[in-house]
Amino acid sequence: MAALRQNITGALRGSCPGARLQWQTLDQQFHALRLGSGSGSSSSSITAAARSSSASASTSRCMSTDTHNDNSDSSSQTGFRSITAAPETAIRIVSHARPVPVSPSYFSRQPIFNDSYLTLQKLMRSYGNLPVVPAGQVERVAWNTLEDIRQTLGEQVKASDYAKCIELVKRLHAIHPTLKPEAVTEALQAFKRNVQPFSNVPNPIVVDKFGRALGVGRRKVSVARAWVVEGTGEVQVNGKSLADAFGRVHDRESAVWPLRATSRVDKYNVWALVEGGGTTGQAEALTLAIAKALMAHEPALKPALRRAGCVTRDPRRVERKKHGRVKARKMPTWVKR
Amino acid sequence: MSAPNCLRCLLQLRPSVAVPRYVASRSTAAASAIPIASAWTAPFSTTTARDAKKKDKSGGGTHIRAGKKIKLGKFKKNTTADRGKAPAPGERKAYRKKILLSNNNALPVPGLADLSAEDMLNPKNAATVLSIPDAVVDQLRASEAFKPTQCWGVFRKPSVLLRSETIDLMTRMKGAAKQKQTLRLVVTGDRITGKSMLLLQAMTHAFLNDWIVVNIPEGQELTTACTEYAAIPGSDPVRYMQQNYVLKLIQAIRKANEKVFSKLSTVHSHPELPQHIPVGSPLMQLANSAKEADNAWMIFQALWQELTARGRPPLLFALDGLAHVMKVSDYRSPAFELIHSHDLALVRLFVESLSGAGAFPNGGAILAATSRGNSPRTPTMELALAQREAEQAKDAAADVPQPDPFFRGYDERVQAALRTVQVLKLSGITKLEARVLMEYWAASGILRTTVDETAVSEKWTLGGNGVVGEMERAALLTMRL
Repeated sequence: MAALRQNITGALRGSCPGARLQWQTLDQQFHALRLGSGSGSSSSSITAAARSSSASASTSRCMSTDTHNDNSDSSSQTGFRSITAAPETAIRIVSHARPVPVSPSYFSRQPIFNDSYLTLQKLMRSYGNLPVVPAGQVERVAWNTLEDIRQTLGEQVKASDYAKCIELVKRLHAIHPTLKPEAVTEALQAFKRNVQPFSNVPNPIVVDKFGRALGVGRRKVSVARAWVVEGTGEVQVNGKSLADAFGRVHDRESAVWPLRATSRVDKYNVWALVEGGGTTGQAEALTLAIAKALMAHEPALKPALRRAGCVTRDPRRVERKKHGRVKARKMPTWVKR
Repeated sequence: MSAPNCLRCLLQLRPSVAVPRYVASRSTAAASAIPIASAWTAPFSTTTARDAKKKDKSGGGTHIRAGKKIKLGKFKKNTTADRGKAPAPGERKAYRKKILLSNNNALPVPGLADLSAEDMLNPKNAATVLSIPDAVVDQLRASEAFKPTQCWGVFRKPSVLLRSETIDLMTRMKGAAKQKQTLRLVVTGDRITGKSMLLLQAMTHAFLNDWIVVNIPEGQELTTACTEYAAIPGSDPVRYMQQNYVLKLIQAIRKANEKVFSKLSTVHSHPELPQHIPVGSPLMQLANSAKEADNAWMIFQALWQELTARGRPPLLFALDGLAHVMKVSDYRSPAFELIHSHDLALVRLFVESLSGAGAFPNGGAILAATSRGNSPRTPTMELALAQREAEQAKDAAADVPQPDPFFRGYDERVQAALRTVQVLKLSGITKLEARVLMEYWAASGILRTTVDETAVSEKWTLGGNGVVGEMERAALLTMRL
């Protein structure tokens, strides 16, 4: 029973039995020093201290503050007595305490990395038998690259070690998400890149209750919004017919190109708003907008639309003017003098 | 550094023939570096004219390319340059205004029937293409119903698409003539939707049914001060006549309506005319009497009196480009004030007929077509037509557009002229009509794709929801080989 209490006390103090011993020793030494320097201290306080060493730790802890209040009259009575050394105690004093590092890989060249590697290995031993998701269906995650890890940890991680480690990471990541333990998720979190490009998924375009799908397209500085509904091939751009909106036949063809390339011209109606830029930009912004809205109606058309060049946004813009040139590229006219 | 030999000449040389064997056998590096020109000798040849040509003295027969020439005095005009013959005065305009009605390179369309008198009234004929009979083509040409912008010149024979609006208009014309009433109607609509073509179809119908047709092909010719004018003596308020234009018009009327005129004779005596034309003389005689511009207006008045006499066939009076006659003209009075178009006598005749003041006793139709390409801003006319259109729409009578209270440019006279007209608004054709039209194009050999539902709807969409002219541009006039 007593041993149990001692253990609990030790746990409360946050130290092991050996550490408690050491603590007491230091305490005693501290008090001894005080006795040596100050005049008002008494032997009874030392004896009290000696007595309390066998008593509970809480008593010994409050002793330094309570001493004067409790034993004020006794110290005044014993003030003339000569100072004597404290009697020998039964406690063995430890002179050196060797700090043990928390991490077992403290003395290796790459302790943090090794630690996480060991953790992963341990997790693998524990949960390696859990069922995994088929390779194609695993959630895509961007892992930290070797360079990232070297940078963040500041350790010279070997490429081969990294390869082994990342293999473990991927294997653990493939554990079926419903069965994946919390510990695995936490351990893998350290290996994930801060910015996840795969989580940046555009909001899917939906066909609303009126049957409209809204697609947005851009080209140069033009922005087009196209509402596509099932219909008979009527097109209105900014409230005008296609012929009124685009004088050039080429532009009209570009605007309805997604419908034409998939031979859906007579299946859908388009109502669009375009702003900014010139006619070509507006027409080609419409291409993208209509294509996106069309994909909301028929997702299977995506490959066909990609082949028709309607899926990717054209990133080209006006090239900036440079100093020393008349325009972006044009050089000034050569003059003799 | 440029090569010493002209590349074009090198390509013409055939090494196996042109380079003699002894040159080819000297296969040292030095020999290969020698320009071919210096090592060239004439091969044996019996005929070639090229080889017999005079050799260049310096280059042994091969053309040595000239280096860059420095041209001095670049600002001096090279006066000797031959620019060809300059076109004669008026030639360019004649070319621009040329109307070509047939093309022998186009395929004859099998099964294409000619229009007959009743064809344009039959609702079953909606969405069909029928050709205009040759006699009527001549009449239409005489009355200048064809426009240079219409592309008749790519087809074998002038043919028209009968759309539902055509049948509708012809039925109204027929009904009005039957009741001895006058159909007063303005054809309006978007750009190249076929407004002038509808006028042409109305004229075709009139000619086929032996109506009398008077056509003013362009309203702007009367009001842009490009033809002579003079005040009519004794008129108060002053009206102006345009004698030259009227002379031309009388001749056009005579030529176009020769068939009808030959059967008719005068019923009025015209004592004011210099030439004595007694009652009962043929109408052609009256029409033929207009030889000079001096008395053209007088003869026109006499002719008009005869044409609107009782017992004559119905009359069709048509004008294209209405906006030009619904504004203040570019003519000036002797006091140098602008003359309103309605003070010009010929325009006044048309406008009074259109407003209902001068009805035709034998029935008929007065048709006017607006234009989108060539039309001055006429807010009054635009407002009036929009109002009439809203009033004639069955359901939305409450939504008639109102004049802008802060705008003072409205014209009372124009408002009065258009107060009671009917408005026919043209827009795109239906898919069925588009299909028929495209099949006609394909049969003529100028549309070289399969005409199926996809192609039709594609062109229909590209043409701004079936605007005929735009479809034509997208399908025929854009080179797609």
